[in-house]
Amino acid sequence: MQSETVIALEGVSRTYGAGPTAVRAADGIDIGFRRGSWTAVMGPSGSGKSTLLHCAAGLERVDAGRVMLGDTDITTLDDDELSELRRTRIGFVFQSFNLVGALTAEQNVALPLRLAGRRPKRDEVRTALAAVGLGERAGHRPRELSGGQQQRVAIARAMVTRPEVLFADEPTGALDTSAARDVLRLLRTSADDGQTIVMVTHDPAAAARADAVVFLRDGRIVDRLAGADVRAVADRLVALEA
Amino acid sequence: MLRLSWAGFRERWTLFAGAVLTVCLGVALVQSSLLLLISAAAGSAPAGATALARMRFDASTEAAVALLGVTLGFAALLAVFIISSTFAFTVEQRRRELALLRLVGGARRQIRRLLLAEATLLGLVGSALGVPVGVGLMAVQTWLLHRLGFVPDGFTGRWQLWIVAVSVGTGVILAVAGVSLAARRAARVRPLDALRETGEATRVMTTARWLTGLLFLAGALTLIGLSPVGGAVGGQAMAMNVSVCAAIGLTLLGPSLVPAVARLIPVRAAGVLGELAAANLRDDRRRTASTAAPVIVLVGLLLGQAAASSSFTAAGRQEQQRWIAADLVIDAPQAPGDRVAATPGVAGASTEVEVPIALTTGNGDLAYTRSATALLVDPVSYVRTHPGAGDLTALREGAVAAGPGADGFSPGDTVGVRVGDRDLGPLPVVAAVPQAIGGGATVLLPAEVVPEEQLAGVPSHTFVQLAPGVPRQQIVAALTGVGTVSDLDAWLERDSVARTATSTGVLIMVMGLGGLYALIGVINSVVVAGATRPREFASVRVTGFTRGQVIRTAVLESVVVTVAGLLLGLLAAAGTLVGVAATTAAVTGAVTVDVPWLLVSAVVAGTLLVTAVTSTVATRTATREHPVAVLGARQ
Repeated sequence: MQSETVIALEGVSRTYGAGPTAVRAADGIDIGFRRGSWTAVMGPSGSGKSTLLHCAAGLERVDAGRVMLGDTDITTLDDDELSELRRTRIGFVFQSFNLVGALTAEQNVALPLRLAGRRPKRDEVRTALAAVGLGERAGHRPRELSGGQQQRVAIARAMVTRPEVLFADEPTGALDTSAARDVLRLLRTSADDGQTIVMVTHDPAAAARADAVVFLRDGRIVDRLAGADVRAVADRLVALEA
Repeated sequence: MLRLSWAGFRERWTLFAGAVLTVCLGVALVQSSLLLLISAAAGSAPAGATALARMRFDASTEAAVALLGVTLGFAALLAVFIISSTFAFTVEQRRRELALLRLVGGARRQIRRLLLAEATLLGLVGSALGVPVGVGLMAVQTWLLHRLGFVPDGFTGRWQLWIVAVSVGTGVILAVAGVSLAARRAARVRPLDALRETGEATRVMTTARWLTGLLFLAGALTLIGLSPVGGAVGGQAMAMNVSVCAAIGLTLLGPSLVPAVARLIPVRAAGVLGELAAANLRDDRRRTASTAAPVIVLVGLLLGQAAASSSFTAAGRQEQQRWIAADLVIDAPQAPGDRVAATPGVAGASTEVEVPIALTTGNGDLAYTRSATALLVDPVSYVRTHPGAGDLTALREGAVAAGPGADGFSPGDTVGVRVGDRDLGPLPVVAAVPQAIGGGATVLLPAEVVPEEQLAGVPSHTFVQLAPGVPRQQIVAALTGVGTVSDLDAWLERDSVARTATSTGVLIMVMGLGGLYALIGVINSVVVAGATRPREFASVRVTGFTRGQVIRTAVLESVVVTVAGLLLGLLAAAGTLVGVAATTAAVTGAVTVDVPWLLVSAVVAGTLLVTAVTSTVATRTATREHPVAVLGARQ
């Protein structure tokens, strides 16, 4: 089962704008992500990292190609089906943690389940929070938590639905080194437990924790490293930006 | 979902407090006006009153009902407008939060449901507060009605239990209706918008909004165009409605118009603060428009109605001055008979007695009876003191003439007239005097049709023409025994004020309370605009602005938006003045425009002061926290 592809982009293209100012943010991208793999996506700014992530997650429509999540081509889904997908099969973690400020950590984590019309069991949510080391912070609101803690709540929220893929967009971008290390450790544990993770980052230290690193430039995949250390990732990135 | 709503309430209570306040006051105003309207309509004359007194009572009831009907209409219009715009605004301010819900899997229908559930809750809370406030407001309105003499002594508004259902229903329905459109648009928010710090610039002006706005402006222009052909009554009504239509139209087009008008104001001259203020106004057109909207409505309606009312009063007075050829007027407690004409030095005298009548127009199934007034005159003397009256020789017993306030019938028709309990039967309309802008009696009747004993205690006025060369003093002295003698001009001044008492009453009742309500809408929108921007203020502060500078910028913004709103509101009011000019020119032959400058300056200064103070307080509150703490607390 190790080699089963969970999500695959097939010839995905996306162009912003038109005419001479048009930007090809994704240019015929073909890539598959295996179950339980953690893939980092890197590249200079403007290389199309975020576009790849957004297209893969169904947040952005594609101009050409398709995105297969299991047997589902998500590019053909309507808005309701995509909403359903987001609360059942896909999880998100972002640089700005995007928690609902009015809700406690516990309520934030329960949100996707509640939106799915389920009355979450208290244990279920507590377990998810405990898994990110915040079992005793359940009743706190985001503003009463540190950045690292907020990001861990966001991870718990993304993971509570046991999604097939977890998309992370610069998850450590707004964190200090030690908080970032905690978050990366958490992602590593999840991946080892079989969670598929696709993560956009510009931090070689974060990318080095992943199983593989994919490099993008001008909307195309230009390289792929597996099991590289921080140094190798950084060197490759510098070479690309040159 | 409701628990999520509740959490949202606690978090953003300032945003919602304003929404609740608008529902509360809207419901209170509608409830009070409705109860008074019903109480007035159900009133009956005291037992033992004479037929004429009963008729007089019915006439005043009809006036009070009409006044309260207009009050209710305006209250409802304002409530719909202010509640819906406030609620739509609160939804717009939460785009990011809603996008976030979409991001974690919220479907559009769920967002809509959430917002509608909130609106229902806010509507319920607002109505629950509005019902007791309405009871208090009814006392104030009753006092005003007594003060203005629209209701007999002893009149009280009666409480009805079912009004609670109506009030709560009104509050909830208006809140939900206000939100539903905004909710549809908000539900269309893309999940990706949650990732953007400021949210994508959205299209503020939808096609529907453009069309509706232009439709209302076209309506205003049509009313201006039609007012000169609407006659005295129709023209006035049309002219007065111009500012209503124009204010609504301009408000709908606000997101395009307000920033454009604000750009004309040289705020950049205030240096870097001014530049930032100007940039903010341009950047968030929706906020700019929402802040200006209640100002446009307040100024447009209040000043439009006030200017129209004072213009028509002035026109009525000037018209009478041209129309009546007399030197003195005698007010007597009853008709003086021949004593005036017999006084040496009096060249002519025309005694007029105004009595309430029941007037039936149309016949068969279409027959319609209403309260009206008849002026009992001696046709020959009347024509002498009213040289423009035309030929009234056919006006004798068994006939009527259409009076200066006639409406809905003309010579050749037959009308039924009943004075007290005397039915004069169907009478042919044999002549018509010109319609007067200030209104007046509906029909003229020859004095002899009503026996003198029935007129006991009914006051009269007599226009007196003096023979040339006779000392005025001497005649005044001789006539003092008949009644109170006044100069024509002084009498006309009093008479025109009395004649326009209804429209003045409408102005005070409707515009006074409505204006207050709109003013609260102004305060509200400024508070909402300020309360949702702590993050933006914080990021300006970390770039080096002091708190004082942030506050000054925000106040500058509010003032500029208010000035833009004032200008558009004045434009709407000016529309009414054009209608007034056209109507007065058509009816009286002379353009009469009377702008109540004192009121205009008071409203302009008051609105500016209120927005500046509110904005200062709101921004102070929004900047109380340390900017770094605000920016650190990411959502």
